[in-house]
Amino acid sequence: MIQVRLAAPRRAARVTGLILGAALLRALLLPVGDLFSTMVFAGCLLAITWVERDAPTLPSPASGGGKLPGAPAASGGGKLPGAPAASRGGTLPGALGRGRAIVVGLMAGAILLAPVVSGPVSGRPISEFLPWAAIAAIVATLEETSIRGVLYRRWAGEAGTLAAIVIGAAVFALIHLPRYGLGAMPLDAAVGLALGGLRALTGRVLPCAVAHTVADWGAWFWA
Amino acid sequence: MTGRRAGLVALALGLIAAALLHGRIAAPPIYDGIIVPPEPYRWESPPPNLAAGNKPPLSGETTLPVQNGQVAGGGVQTDDNQVVIYFGPGAFKAPAGATGVTCSIVPDPNPPPAPSGAEIRGNVYRVGCVGVPGGGPVTVVSTYHLTMRFPPGAFKEIQYNDGSGWRPLRTLTAPGGDPYASVNAPGFGEYAATAPTGAPGPSVLSDLGRYLEFYGILAFVILFGAIAIFQEVRRRRHRAPAPRDKNPRSKNPRSKKR
Repeated sequence: MIQVRLAAPRRAARVTGLILGAALLRALLLPVGDLFSTMVFAGCLLAITWVERDAPTLPSPASGGGKLPGAPAASGGGKLPGAPAASRGGTLPGALGRGRAIVVGLMAGAILLAPVVSGPVSGRPISEFLPWAAIAAIVATLEETSIRGVLYRRWAGEAGTLAAIVIGAAVFALIHLPRYGLGAMPLDAAVGLALGGLRALTGRVLPCAVAHTVADWGAWFWA
Repeated sequence: MTGRRAGLVALALGLIAAALLHGRIAAPPIYDGIIVPPEPYRWESPPPNLAAGNKPPLSGETTLPVQNGQVAGGGVQTDDNQVVIYFGPGAFKAPAGATGVTCSIVPDPNPPPAPSGAEIRGNVYRVGCVGVPGGGPVTVVSTYHLTMRFPPGAFKEIQYNDGSGWRPLRTLTAPGGDPYASVNAPGFGEYAATAPTGAPGPSVLSDLGRYLEFYGILAFVILFGAIAIFQEVRRRRHRAPAPRDKNPRSKNPRSKKR
Protein backbone atom coordinates (compact mmCIF):
# COMPACT_ATOMS: atom_id res chain seq x y z
CA MET A 1 0.00 0.00 0.00
CA ILE A 2 2.80 2.38 0.91
CA GLN A 3 4.60 1.56 -2.32
CA VAL A 4 1.49 2.34 -4.35
CA ARG A 5 1.04 5.72 -2.67
CA LEU A 6 4.67 6.66 -3.18
CA ALA A 7 4.50 5.74 -6.82
CA ALA A 8 1.14 7.37 -7.37
CA PRO A 9 2.02 10.93 -8.41
CA ARG A 10 4.65 9.84 -10.91
CA ARG A 11 2.63 10.60 -14.05
CA ALA A 12 1.22 13.76 -12.54
CA ALA A 13 4.75 14.85 -11.67
CA ARG A 14 5.81 14.14 -15.23
CA VAL A 15 3.10 16.42 -16.62
CA THR A 16 4.06 19.07 -14.06
CA GLY A 17 7.69 18.82 -15.17
CA LEU A 18 6.73 19.07 -18.83
CA ILE A 19 4.69 22.25 -18.30
CA LEU A 20 7.41 23.87 -16.19
CA GLY A 21 9.96 22.81 -18.81
CA ALA A 22 7.91 24.53 -21.51
CA ALA A 23 7.90 27.72 -19.42
CA LEU A 24 11.66 27.44 -18.90
CA LEU A 25 12.18 27.01 -22.64
CA ARG A 26 10.11 30.11 -23.25
CA ALA A 27 12.24 32.06 -20.79
CA LEU A 28 15.45 30.88 -22.48
CA LEU A 29 14.11 31.86 -25.90
CA LEU A 30 12.96 35.33 -24.82
CA PRO A 31 16.15 37.02 -26.13
CA VAL A 32 15.36 35.64 -29.60
CA GLY A 33 12.04 37.41 -29.63
CA ASP A 34 8.92 37.63 -27.51
CA LEU A 35 6.60 36.42 -30.24
CA PHE A 36 8.81 33.48 -31.19
CA SER A 37 9.29 32.32 -27.58
CA THR A 38 5.55 32.65 -26.94
CA MET A 39 4.72 30.54 -29.97
CA VAL A 40 7.22 27.84 -28.98
CA PHE A 41 5.63 27.85 -25.51
CA ALA A 42 2.16 27.56 -27.05
CA GLY A 43 3.35 24.71 -29.27
CA CYS A 44 4.76 22.86 -26.24
CA LEU A 45 1.48 23.27 -24.32
CA LEU A 46 -0.46 22.06 -27.34
CA ALA A 47 1.80 19.02 -27.58
CA ILE A 48 1.43 18.27 -23.85
CA THR A 49 -2.36 18.58 -24.09
CA TRP A 50 -2.36 16.36 -27.17
CA VAL A 51 -0.07 13.66 -25.80
CA GLU A 52 -1.87 13.56 -22.44
CA ARG A 53 -5.38 13.83 -23.86
CA ASP A 54 -6.28 10.36 -22.55
CA ALA A 55 -5.57 11.34 -18.95
CA PRO A 56 -8.35 10.07 -16.71
CA THR A 57 -11.11 12.56 -16.01
CA LEU A 58 -12.69 12.77 -12.62
CA PRO A 59 -16.44 12.86 -12.28
CA SER A 60 -17.60 16.43 -11.76
CA PRO A 61 -18.13 17.44 -8.14
CA ALA A 62 -21.46 18.72 -9.36
CA SER A 63 -22.41 15.11 -9.89
CA GLY A 64 -21.33 14.17 -6.39
CA GLY A 65 -17.90 12.84 -7.34
CA GLY A 66 -14.54 14.35 -6.75
CA LYS A 67 -12.13 11.54 -6.14
CA LEU A 68 -12.14 8.20 -7.79
CA PRO A 69 -12.19 5.32 -5.37
CA GLY A 70 -9.61 3.40 -7.33
CA ALA A 71 -7.30 6.34 -7.91
CA PRO A 72 -4.03 4.96 -6.50
CA ALA A 73 -4.31 1.93 -8.72
CA ALA A 74 -4.13 4.16 -11.75
CA SER A 75 -0.63 5.32 -11.03
CA GLY A 76 0.95 2.99 -13.50
CA GLY A 77 -1.14 3.77 -16.52
CA GLY A 78 -2.85 6.57 -18.30
CA LYS A 79 -6.39 5.33 -17.77
CA LEU A 80 -8.18 4.48 -14.59
CA PRO A 81 -9.29 0.89 -14.63
CA GLY A 82 -12.24 1.59 -12.46
CA ALA A 83 -13.35 4.74 -14.18
CA PRO A 84 -16.45 4.72 -16.31
CA ALA A 85 -15.93 5.06 -20.04
CA ALA A 86 -17.58 8.48 -20.10
CA SER A 87 -14.96 9.85 -17.74
CA ARG A 88 -12.01 9.28 -20.09
CA GLY A 89 -11.88 12.63 -21.75
CA GLY A 90 -14.68 14.73 -23.15
CA THR A 91 -17.50 16.41 -21.29
CA LEU A 92 -18.54 14.82 -18.06
CA PRO A 93 -22.10 13.85 -17.28
CA GLY A 94 -22.34 16.25 -14.31
CA ALA A 95 -20.40 19.12 -15.85
CA LEU A 96 -21.97 22.44 -16.83
CA GLY A 97 -23.35 22.80 -20.34
CA ARG A 98 -21.27 24.78 -22.84
CA GLY A 99 -23.48 27.88 -22.70
CA ARG A 100 -23.52 28.02 -18.93
CA ALA A 101 -19.80 27.34 -18.81
CA ILE A 102 -19.13 30.34 -21.06
CA VAL A 103 -21.37 32.57 -18.93
CA VAL A 104 -19.64 31.42 -15.73
CA GLY A 105 -16.25 32.04 -17.37
CA LEU A 106 -17.29 35.54 -18.46
CA MET A 107 -18.46 36.33 -14.94
CA ALA A 108 -15.24 35.06 -13.37
CA GLY A 109 -13.20 37.07 -15.91
CA ALA A 110 -15.21 40.19 -15.10
CA ILE A 111 -14.57 39.70 -11.37
CA LEU A 112 -10.84 39.32 -12.04
CA LEU A 113 -10.84 42.54 -14.04
CA ALA A 114 -13.07 44.50 -11.65
CA PRO A 115 -10.25 46.06 -9.59
CA VAL A 116 -8.57 47.61 -12.65
CA VAL A 117 -11.44 48.82 -14.80
CA SER A 118 -11.78 51.98 -12.75
CA GLY A 119 -8.27 53.03 -13.83
CA PRO A 120 -7.42 55.12 -16.89
CA VAL A 121 -8.08 53.51 -20.27
CA SER A 122 -5.00 53.12 -22.44
CA GLY A 123 -4.77 54.75 -25.83
CA ARG A 124 -3.92 51.55 -27.74
CA PRO A 125 -5.72 51.51 -31.08
CA ILE A 126 -8.60 49.07 -31.26
CA SER A 127 -7.64 48.22 -34.86
CA GLU A 128 -4.53 46.44 -33.62
CA PHE A 129 -6.37 44.62 -30.87
CA LEU A 130 -7.64 41.67 -32.93
CA PRO A 131 -4.35 39.90 -33.84
CA TRP A 132 -3.00 40.45 -30.34
CA ALA A 133 -6.25 39.21 -28.82
CA ALA A 134 -6.17 36.10 -30.99
CA ILE A 135 -2.70 35.15 -29.77
CA ALA A 136 -3.59 35.99 -26.17
CA ALA A 137 -6.70 33.79 -26.41
CA ILE A 138 -4.75 30.89 -27.92
CA VAL A 139 -2.04 31.01 -25.26
CA ALA A 140 -4.54 31.45 -22.41
CA THR A 141 -6.64 28.54 -23.67
CA LEU A 142 -3.60 26.31 -24.08
CA GLU A 143 -2.44 27.18 -20.56
CA GLU A 144 -5.86 26.17 -19.29
CA THR A 145 -6.10 22.94 -21.30
CA SER A 146 -2.70 21.92 -19.98
CA ILE A 147 -2.93 23.15 -16.37
CA ARG A 148 -6.66 22.94 -15.59
CA GLY A 149 -6.98 20.12 -18.13
CA VAL A 150 -4.36 17.39 -18.12
CA LEU A 151 -2.39 18.51 -15.06
CA TYR A 152 -5.56 18.86 -12.99
CA ARG A 153 -6.86 15.47 -14.11
CA ARG A 154 -3.59 13.71 -13.36
CA TRP A 155 -3.20 15.21 -9.89
CA ALA A 156 -6.89 14.85 -9.06
CA GLY A 157 -6.81 11.20 -10.08
CA GLU A 158 -3.64 10.45 -8.18
CA ALA A 159 -3.73 12.73 -5.14
CA GLY A 160 -7.19 14.30 -4.92
CA THR A 161 -8.98 17.47 -5.99
CA LEU A 162 -7.38 19.72 -3.39
CA ALA A 163 -3.87 18.72 -4.48
CA ALA A 164 -4.87 19.31 -8.11
CA ILE A 165 -6.09 22.84 -7.33
CA VAL A 166 -3.10 23.82 -5.19
CA ILE A 167 -0.45 22.34 -7.49
CA GLY A 168 -2.18 23.87 -10.51
CA ALA A 169 -2.05 27.30 -8.82
CA ALA A 170 1.64 26.85 -7.98
CA VAL A 171 2.49 25.81 -11.55
CA PHE A 172 0.45 28.70 -12.90
CA ALA A 173 2.42 31.16 -10.77
CA LEU A 174 5.74 29.55 -11.69
CA ILE A 175 5.21 29.63 -15.45
CA HIS A 176 4.57 33.38 -15.25
CA LEU A 177 7.69 33.99 -13.17
CA PRO A 178 10.15 34.57 -16.06
CA ARG A 179 7.88 37.13 -17.71
CA TYR A 180 6.59 39.13 -14.78
CA GLY A 181 9.06 38.45 -11.96
CA LEU A 182 8.63 37.56 -8.30
CA GLY A 183 6.41 40.56 -7.64
CA ALA A 184 3.58 39.13 -9.74
CA MET A 185 3.79 35.61 -8.27
CA PRO A 186 1.34 36.03 -5.36
CA LEU A 187 -1.26 37.55 -7.69
CA ASP A 188 -0.78 34.82 -10.27
CA ALA A 189 -0.99 32.15 -7.55
CA ALA A 190 -4.26 33.69 -6.30
CA VAL A 191 -5.69 33.75 -9.81
CA GLY A 192 -4.50 30.17 -10.34
CA LEU A 193 -6.29 29.16 -7.15
CA ALA A 194 -9.50 30.80 -8.35
CA LEU A 195 -9.28 29.13 -11.77
CA GLY A 196 -8.56 25.76 -10.14
CA GLY A 197 -11.61 26.24 -7.95
CA LEU A 198 -13.66 27.13 -11.00
CA ARG A 199 -12.47 23.94 -12.70
CA ALA A 200 -13.40 21.82 -9.68
CA LEU A 201 -16.80 23.47 -9.31
CA THR A 202 -17.86 23.32 -12.93
CA GLY A 203 -16.11 20.14 -14.02
CA ARG A 204 -14.97 21.85 -17.22
CA VAL A 205 -11.91 23.65 -18.56
CA LEU A 206 -14.00 25.97 -20.75
CA PRO A 207 -15.00 28.50 -18.03
CA CYS A 208 -11.36 28.70 -16.91
CA ALA A 209 -10.23 29.38 -20.49
CA VAL A 210 -12.91 32.05 -20.95
CA ALA A 211 -12.11 33.76 -17.62
CA HIS A 212 -8.37 33.66 -18.35
CA THR A 213 -8.84 35.08 -21.85
CA VAL A 214 -11.11 37.88 -20.64
CA ALA A 215 -8.62 38.82 -17.93
CA ASP A 216 -5.80 38.81 -20.50
CA TRP A 217 -7.73 41.00 -22.91
CA GLY A 218 -8.18 43.55 -20.17
CA ALA A 219 -4.45 44.24 -20.36
CA TRP A 220 -4.99 45.94 -23.72
CA PHE A 221 -7.35 48.48 -22.21
CA TRP A 222 -6.11 48.94 -18.65
CA ALA A 223 -2.42 47.98 -18.49
CA MET B 1 -13.11 17.79 1.89
CA THR B 2 -15.24 17.00 -1.16
CA GLY B 3 -14.27 18.19 -4.60
CA ARG B 4 -17.13 20.67 -4.75
CA ARG B 5 -16.31 22.19 -1.36
CA ALA B 6 -12.61 22.38 -2.20
CA GLY B 7 -13.47 24.10 -5.48
CA LEU B 8 -15.76 26.60 -3.82
CA VAL B 9 -13.21 27.46 -1.11
CA ALA B 10 -10.40 27.78 -3.67
CA LEU B 11 -12.50 29.99 -5.95
CA ALA B 12 -13.53 32.29 -3.10
CA LEU B 13 -10.03 32.47 -1.60
CA GLY B 14 -8.44 33.03 -4.99
CA LEU B 15 -10.79 35.85 -6.01
CA ILE B 16 -10.49 37.62 -2.64
CA ALA B 17 -6.70 37.31 -2.65
CA ALA B 18 -6.51 38.52 -6.26
CA ALA B 19 -8.66 41.56 -5.44
CA LEU B 20 -6.51 42.38 -2.39
CA LEU B 21 -3.25 41.94 -4.31
CA HIS B 22 -4.37 44.08 -7.21
CA GLY B 23 -3.42 47.28 -5.45
CA ARG B 24 0.26 46.33 -5.58
CA ILE B 25 0.44 45.62 -9.30
CA ALA B 26 -0.92 48.19 -11.71
CA ALA B 27 -1.98 45.72 -14.36
CA PRO B 28 -4.66 43.15 -14.99
CA PRO B 29 -3.90 39.85 -13.33
CA ILE B 30 -2.60 37.37 -15.84
CA TYR B 31 -1.77 38.93 -19.13
CA ASP B 32 -0.17 36.36 -21.41
CA GLY B 33 0.10 36.02 -25.10
CA ILE B 34 2.66 38.43 -26.32
CA ILE B 35 3.76 41.55 -24.53
CA VAL B 36 1.08 44.19 -24.78
CA PRO B 37 2.27 46.67 -27.40
CA PRO B 38 3.05 50.11 -26.02
CA GLU B 39 0.54 52.92 -26.33
CA PRO B 40 1.02 55.22 -29.34
CA TYR B 41 3.92 57.63 -28.91
CA ARG B 42 2.88 60.84 -27.16
CA TRP B 43 4.14 63.82 -29.12
CA GLU B 44 4.82 67.29 -27.78
CA SER B 45 4.51 68.58 -31.37
CA PRO B 46 2.91 65.81 -33.41
CA PRO B 47 3.25 65.52 -37.19
CA PRO B 48 0.06 66.72 -38.89
CA ASN B 49 -1.12 63.18 -39.72
CA LEU B 50 -0.87 62.10 -36.06
CA ALA B 51 -2.23 65.25 -34.45
CA ALA B 52 -5.81 64.00 -34.25
CA GLY B 53 -5.30 61.09 -31.87
CA ASN B 54 -2.25 62.44 -30.07
CA LYS B 55 -2.12 62.64 -26.30
CA PRO B 56 0.36 65.11 -24.75
CA PRO B 57 3.51 63.62 -23.21
CA LEU B 58 3.70 63.43 -19.43
CA SER B 59 6.45 64.42 -17.04
CA GLY B 60 7.79 62.56 -14.02
CA GLU B 61 9.16 63.64 -10.65
CA THR B 62 10.36 62.02 -7.47
CA THR B 63 12.08 63.12 -4.27
CA LEU B 64 14.91 61.01 -2.90
CA PRO B 65 16.64 61.15 0.50
CA VAL B 66 20.20 62.40 1.02
CA GLN B 67 22.64 60.40 3.13
CA ASN B 68 26.02 61.94 4.03
CA GLY B 69 25.66 64.51 1.27
CA GLN B 70 24.99 61.89 -1.38
CA VAL B 71 21.73 60.96 -2.99
CA ALA B 72 20.56 57.43 -2.35
CA GLY B 73 20.10 55.39 -5.51
CA GLY B 74 16.77 55.38 -7.22
CA GLY B 75 14.95 56.19 -10.40
CA VAL B 76 12.49 58.52 -12.05
CA GLN B 77 10.19 57.92 -14.96
CA THR B 78 7.64 59.93 -16.83
CA ASP B 79 4.05 58.92 -16.15
CA ASP B 80 3.70 57.68 -19.74
CA ASN B 81 6.93 55.61 -19.45
CA GLN B 82 8.54 57.38 -22.39
CA VAL B 83 11.68 58.24 -20.42
CA VAL B 84 13.21 56.46 -17.45
CA ILE B 85 16.38 57.27 -15.53
CA TYR B 86 17.98 55.34 -12.70
CA PHE B 87 21.19 55.69 -10.80
CA GLY B 88 23.19 54.08 -8.03
CA PRO B 89 23.99 55.54 -4.59
CA GLY B 90 26.50 58.36 -4.83
CA ALA B 91 25.89 59.12 -8.51
CA PHE B 92 24.52 62.55 -7.52
CA LYS B 93 25.93 64.90 -4.89
CA ALA B 94 23.42 67.04 -3.02
CA PRO B 95 24.05 70.71 -2.11
CA ALA B 96 25.03 71.51 1.46
CA GLY B 97 22.10 71.48 3.86
CA ALA B 98 19.80 69.50 1.60
CA THR B 99 17.92 66.64 3.17
CA GLY B 100 16.66 65.37 -0.16
CA VAL B 101 16.72 65.99 -3.88
CA THR B 102 13.84 66.29 -6.29
CA CYS B 103 14.55 64.83 -9.72
CA SER B 104 12.31 65.50 -12.68
CA ILE B 105 11.97 64.63 -16.35
CA VAL B 106 9.93 67.17 -18.31
CA PRO B 107 9.12 67.30 -22.03
CA ASP B 108 10.45 70.56 -23.44
CA PRO B 109 7.87 72.47 -25.49
CA ASN B 110 10.55 74.85 -26.83
CA PRO B 111 13.67 72.76 -27.43
CA PRO B 112 16.90 74.11 -28.86
CA PRO B 113 17.38 73.73 -32.64
CA ALA B 114 18.25 70.27 -33.92
CA PRO B 115 21.94 69.36 -34.24
CA SER B 116 23.47 69.94 -37.66
CA GLY B 117 23.02 67.02 -40.05
CA ALA B 118 20.43 65.41 -37.84
CA GLU B 119 16.77 65.74 -37.03
CA ILE B 120 15.13 65.27 -33.67
CA ARG B 121 12.84 62.27 -33.59
CA GLY B 122 10.09 62.70 -31.04
CA ASN B 123 10.25 64.85 -27.95
CA VAL B 124 13.12 66.61 -26.24
CA TYR B 125 13.20 65.95 -22.50
CA ARG B 126 14.84 68.04 -19.81
CA VAL B 127 16.33 65.99 -16.98
CA GLY B 128 17.37 67.68 -13.75
CA CYS B 129 17.59 67.47 -9.97
CA VAL B 130 17.52 70.16 -7.27
CA GLY B 131 18.17 69.97 -3.55
CA VAL B 132 15.35 70.31 -1.05
CA PRO B 133 14.90 72.52 0.79
CA GLY B 134 16.35 75.49 -1.03
CA GLY B 135 16.48 74.31 -4.63
CA GLY B 136 20.28 74.28 -4.75
CA PRO B 137 22.07 72.62 -7.67
CA VAL B 138 22.79 68.90 -7.59
CA THR B 139 26.09 67.70 -9.07
CA VAL B 140 26.42 64.61 -11.24
CA VAL B 141 29.37 62.60 -9.91
CA SER B 142 29.11 59.63 -12.24
CA THR B 143 26.95 58.74 -15.23
CA TYR B 144 23.44 57.51 -14.77
CA HIS B 145 21.26 55.30 -16.93
CA LEU B 146 18.70 56.88 -19.24
CA THR B 147 16.23 54.99 -21.43
CA MET B 148 14.14 56.87 -23.92
CA ARG B 149 11.35 55.83 -26.24
CA PHE B 150 11.50 57.03 -29.84
CA PRO B 151 8.60 57.19 -32.30
CA PRO B 152 8.25 54.82 -35.28
CA GLY B 153 10.57 55.71 -38.14
CA ALA B 154 14.26 56.42 -38.50
CA PHE B 155 16.51 56.46 -35.43
CA LYS B 156 20.25 56.54 -34.94
CA GLU B 157 21.22 57.76 -31.48
CA ILE B 158 20.35 59.80 -28.42
CA GLN B 159 21.99 63.22 -28.19
CA TYR B 160 22.63 65.33 -25.12
CA ASN B 161 22.61 69.09 -24.78
CA ASP B 162 23.88 70.67 -21.54
CA GLY B 163 23.42 74.17 -22.92
CA SER B 164 26.59 74.22 -24.99
CA GLY B 165 25.23 72.31 -27.99
CA TRP B 166 24.17 68.82 -28.93
CA ARG B 167 26.55 65.88 -28.74
CA PRO B 168 25.85 62.27 -29.60
CA LEU B 169 26.06 59.57 -26.97
CA ARG B 170 26.88 55.91 -27.40
CA THR B 171 23.42 54.45 -27.72
CA LEU B 172 22.18 50.94 -27.18
CA THR B 173 19.04 49.67 -28.88
CA ALA B 174 17.30 46.34 -28.57
CA PRO B 175 16.61 44.19 -31.65
CA GLY B 176 13.17 43.23 -32.87
CA GLY B 177 11.69 46.68 -33.31
CA ASP B 178 11.88 47.63 -29.62
CA PRO B 179 11.15 51.39 -29.57
CA TYR B 180 13.48 52.13 -26.64
CA ALA B 181 17.12 53.20 -26.61
CA SER B 182 19.50 53.60 -23.68
CA VAL B 183 22.57 55.67 -22.87
CA ASN B 184 24.90 56.36 -19.98
CA ALA B 185 23.84 59.94 -19.35
CA PRO B 186 26.74 62.24 -18.45
CA GLY B 187 24.80 65.08 -16.83
CA PHE B 188 21.65 67.08 -16.43
CA GLY B 189 20.25 68.85 -19.44
CA GLU B 190 18.25 67.96 -22.53
CA TYR B 191 18.07 64.62 -24.25
CA ALA B 192 16.58 63.77 -27.62
CA ALA B 193 16.35 60.83 -30.00
CA THR B 194 17.87 61.75 -33.35
CA ALA B 195 18.34 60.43 -36.88
CA PRO B 196 20.39 61.72 -39.82
CA THR B 197 18.46 64.29 -41.81
CA GLY B 198 16.32 62.61 -44.46
CA ALA B 199 17.08 59.08 -43.22
CA PRO B 200 14.45 56.63 -44.37
CA GLY B 201 12.42 54.71 -41.80
CA PRO B 202 12.22 50.93 -41.68
CA SER B 203 12.11 49.43 -45.18
CA VAL B 204 9.01 47.81 -46.61
CA LEU B 205 10.87 44.50 -46.53
CA SER B 206 11.60 44.67 -42.81
CA ASP B 207 7.95 45.57 -42.12
CA LEU B 208 6.85 42.71 -44.36
CA GLY B 209 9.20 40.34 -42.51
CA ARG B 210 7.67 41.28 -39.17
CA TYR B 211 4.15 40.75 -40.50
CA LEU B 212 5.14 37.43 -42.04
CA GLU B 213 6.63 36.25 -38.75
CA PHE B 214 3.58 37.37 -36.78
CA TYR B 215 0.85 36.06 -39.04
CA GLY B 216 2.85 33.04 -40.24
CA ILE B 217 3.31 31.71 -36.74
CA LEU B 218 -0.29 32.55 -35.87
CA ALA B 219 -1.50 30.67 -38.96
CA PHE B 220 0.71 27.72 -38.05
CA VAL B 221 -0.72 27.50 -34.53
CA ILE B 222 -4.31 27.82 -35.78
CA LEU B 223 -3.72 25.18 -38.48
CA PHE B 224 -2.07 22.80 -36.02
CA GLY B 225 -4.90 23.37 -33.53
CA ALA B 226 -7.56 22.76 -36.20
CA ILE B 227 -5.90 19.49 -37.24
CA ALA B 228 -5.68 18.42 -33.58
CA ILE B 229 -9.36 19.19 -32.99
CA PHE B 230 -10.37 17.39 -36.20
CA GLN B 231 -8.41 14.29 -35.24
CA GLU B 232 -9.78 14.36 -31.70
CA VAL B 233 -13.36 14.53 -32.97
CA ARG B 234 -12.71 11.65 -35.38
CA ARG B 235 -11.11 9.59 -32.61
CA ARG B 236 -14.10 10.11 -30.33
CA ARG B 237 -16.49 9.14 -33.09
CA HIS B 238 -14.60 5.89 -33.62
CA ARG B 239 -14.63 5.20 -29.89
CA ALA B 240 -18.32 5.89 -29.40
CA PRO B 241 -20.38 2.69 -28.76
CA ALA B 242 -22.56 1.44 -31.63
CA PRO B 243 -26.24 2.38 -31.24
CA ARG B 244 -28.43 -0.40 -29.96
CA ASP B 245 -30.90 -1.79 -32.48
CA LYS B 246 -34.38 -1.92 -31.03
CA ASN B 247 -35.70 -4.14 -33.82
CA PRO B 248 -35.31 -7.79 -32.70
CA ARG B 249 -35.65 -9.00 -36.29
CA SER B 250 -32.77 -6.92 -37.43
CA LYS B 251 -30.00 -8.71 -39.30
CA ASN B 252 -27.34 -6.68 -37.52
CA PRO B 253 -24.83 -9.20 -36.15
CA ARG B 254 -24.42 -7.14 -32.93
CA SER B 255 -28.12 -7.44 -32.16
CA LYS B 256 -27.91 -11.17 -32.80
CA LYS B 257 -25.25 -11.53 -30.16
CA ARG B 258 -27.54 -9.98 -27.61
